[in-house]
Amino acid sequence: MQELLQYFFSGITNGAIYAIIALGFSMLYNATGLINFAQGEFVMLGALGLITFWRGLELPLPVAFVATVAGVSLVGLVLERLAIRSVRKPHPIVLIIITVGASILLRGVGMLQWGKDAHSAPSFSRLSSFELAGATLLPQTLWILGSLLLIVLGLQFFYKKTLTGKAMQACAISKRAASLLGIPSERMVLLAFALSSAMGGVGGILIAPITMSSYDMGTMLGLKGFCAAMLGGLGSSWGSIVGGLLLGILEAFGVGFVSSSLRDAIAFILLLLILYVRPTGILGAKAVQRF
Amino acid sequence: MNGLEADTRVLQPLLKVEAVSKSFGGIQALYNVSFEVAAGHIYAVIGPNGAGKTTLFNVITGIYTPEEGGVFYEQQPIRGRSVHQLVRRGIARTFQNVELFDSMTVLENVLVGQHVRTRCGFWGAICRWPWVKREEQHAQQKAVELLKFVGLEDVGGHRSADLPFGWQRFLEIARALAAEPHLLLLDEPASGLNAVETEQLAALLQQIRARGVTLLLVEHDMSLTMGISDKILVLNQGKKLAEGTPREIQADDAVIDAYLGRE
Amino acid sequence: MRGLENRNSHMKYALFSLSIVLTGWWVSNPYYLQLLTFIGIYTVLALGLNMLMGYAGQISLGHAAFYGIGAYTTAIATVHWNWPPWLGLLLALGLTAVIAFLIALPMLKLTGYYLGMGTLGFGMIFYILFREWTGFTGGTSGLVGIPPLSIGALTLDTGSGYFYLVWGIVVVCFVICERIVNSRVGRALRAIHDSERAAAAMGVDTSRLKVWVFVLSAVFASLAGFLYAHLVTFISPDSFDFIVSIRIVTMVVIGGMASIWGSLLGASVLTFLPDWLHVFSDYEMVVYGLILMVVMIFLPQGFTRGMLDIYERARSRYSRPSTSPQG
Repeated sequence: MQELLQYFFSGITNGAIYAIIALGFSMLYNATGLINFAQGEFVMLGALGLITFWRGLELPLPVAFVATVAGVSLVGLVLERLAIRSVRKPHPIVLIIITVGASILLRGVGMLQWGKDAHSAPSFSRLSSFELAGATLLPQTLWILGSLLLIVLGLQFFYKKTLTGKAMQACAISKRAASLLGIPSERMVLLAFALSSAMGGVGGILIAPITMSSYDMGTMLGLKGFCAAMLGGLGSSWGSIVGGLLLGILEAFGVGFVSSSLRDAIAFILLLLILYVRPTGILGAKAVQRF
Repeated sequence: MNGLEADTRVLQPLLKVEAVSKSFGGIQALYNVSFEVAAGHIYAVIGPNGAGKTTLFNVITGIYTPEEGGVFYEQQPIRGRSVHQLVRRGIARTFQNVELFDSMTVLENVLVGQHVRTRCGFWGAICRWPWVKREEQHAQQKAVELLKFVGLEDVGGHRSADLPFGWQRFLEIARALAAEPHLLLLDEPASGLNAVETEQLAALLQQIRARGVTLLLVEHDMSLTMGISDKILVLNQGKKLAEGTPREIQADDAVIDAYLGRE
Repeated sequence: MRGLENRNSHMKYALFSLSIVLTGWWVSNPYYLQLLTFIGIYTVLALGLNMLMGYAGQISLGHAAFYGIGAYTTAIATVHWNWPPWLGLLLALGLTAVIAFLIALPMLKLTGYYLGMGTLGFGMIFYILFREWTGFTGGTSGLVGIPPLSIGALTLDTGSGYFYLVWGIVVVCFVICERIVNSRVGRALRAIHDSERAAAAMGVDTSRLKVWVFVLSAVFASLAGFLYAHLVTFISPDSFDFIVSIRIVTMVVIGGMASIWGSLLGASVLTFLPDWLHVFSDYEMVVYGLILMVVMIFLPQGFTRGMLDIYERARSRYSRPSTSPQG
């Protein structure tokens, strides 16, 4: 029982991170219909950026947090402006290769900047871990869950209450109709890129204290985030959260009961299954465009 | 050969659309539409935008499945057949916005059209058996003939994307003919053509009919359809408004009210 | 017309083979000979992916998996079971074909982004399998002692012997691909690439054809893996990871989509680049990333193909068709 709870804690910790990455995928997909293969690299930049700002430059944590998120979303903006917008033929295959290229480029830059070694960050608060029904709960878990909650509330507010958020949803439904109404769809795409990369960055910041961060962590996390988004139904915010937590918990139990070497395979097997069996995700009722 | 003779010669219709209804999320695109196309005819479907012409087209080619009713081709239901199976059975089509294979030459486009009438697969291609060579040679000959038929034999080596738009339409028709269809569906073949090209098209369609191919066209251009069709179906808001010979349609009060306008 | 084309193509291959023989005879430095051998292996890889990506327009971000399946199958067969290598080859190709077929059946219903993610995930699963299935694959420390190839009494362990073998296979692969591309199936593949809707309307069974080209492409990768394993006689999972999949994609992008000879160029560039730039290993990813992005933004048909297109368009502007249809 105690063991189960322990797995559960570790599962929701990672799961919440996957959920945040998945939210980034979903948001961009909603606004632009694009899937950014470089999303995982934003997570890597977030984690290593935080370590540099907080540990390296010894900025206070909130400042380091803001600086990192700003930096990562700047990278997202530059990617959209320089690469995505200049594409002449926006075929999926071309956009895939471009974002894969961006992902490899960022990974390479990450390696040049931070080296091949893994880095670590201390927990956000100095509290020691506490016991709950015999299982250890890390304070970082609370930070992560709290952040997820804040992001969800923020997104709800953005989509439901602000004009920009509503405009972005209008763009997602029909770019042409939106532009006829005077909504600048180019700016919306730019904003969606900035926000989704910022979300990747936040995911990276939160994961930094509980894992070793290195230049090549992004691909795996990006794929898991995508898997979570697909599980819940791509484009749905609630789906991303459910999918992320579910993936995290399944992974934790898989590691606990089967083998730790299976850990990374679980996400991919799940991804392939979901792509084959139910591409709309477990929550999604919306038909997934298969092209 | 005129329409009357064809009617007496063939008893069963080539295509029979029976009480077809299709809706998209509450919008009734087609409602209880029935008609028959006799073999050897040129049959036109006209109607204003949003009348359900394209939906009808996609129902007949097997892209959409109707909620009610059925489509029968050569007395067999098309329900459950995939698009490529229908081509094999003799239904070919063109697209409203011309969809050629842009990276290929004009000649290659027509060669792809013969896909269902040739059979060389991966192994055949790799081993290049004598029969494969013969088949390829024959296909090339036939492609050249078809290009000659539509008047494009001089540009066979050009990329299809480089052709002027009007020629692309003719090429698309040649490509569809390459599949040796019994029934050729044309989706607004005259749209985007100038007056001279439209006349050429009318002549071409009659030549195609003379080859024994039945034509079903969805069209906007009145002069084209009135001039060459044996029968016309008028759709309005998903419903059948009238059906008859061009002369009957021109005299039909409901059609005049809804579409042609009174002078 | 047709006969002339055939004669041209015979000439092309005669010249190509001659230059291979001359190169093998002229280059005596074993290091360069091995480098050239690697180019041959990569050419086979790029050629296979180009059939899938360039001609049929379907992406695979996990092609290193098939490369790995080829290498590991023959390695396991020869090292663990003491099979003769050529039997290992048959097993590798057969196994790859079966696996690729089973994967392609559901996978190629997916298109675009989903296919990209699906193949990426699939590549990862096999990488994990190579790394974790220690009993068979040797785990991270890899498999050693893969025997060299031999034909009859002739052992192909000297640089030039293997060089000729690999490049002989390259020529055969070129012929196979060229024949497919210029045939009924090849045209159907290109048709799918240009417009899947129109291809289906012409009676092309698009999903079936995509499955077969995926299998073909996987078998090419497996063949390359076989050649690689018996050349270096040692394999480890890192030779088949995500970056390798990206490297293959980059070769195709440089060589040009739907360009058979471009595969040779792509493979050569990505083999020589690390050799010329000694700092390359640090900048490898940055360079790949930039190549992929820049080429795709400006020349979405790939580098060589894009250049050729520009040239052809410039030329045809002067010889625009001037007769009239129906005239």
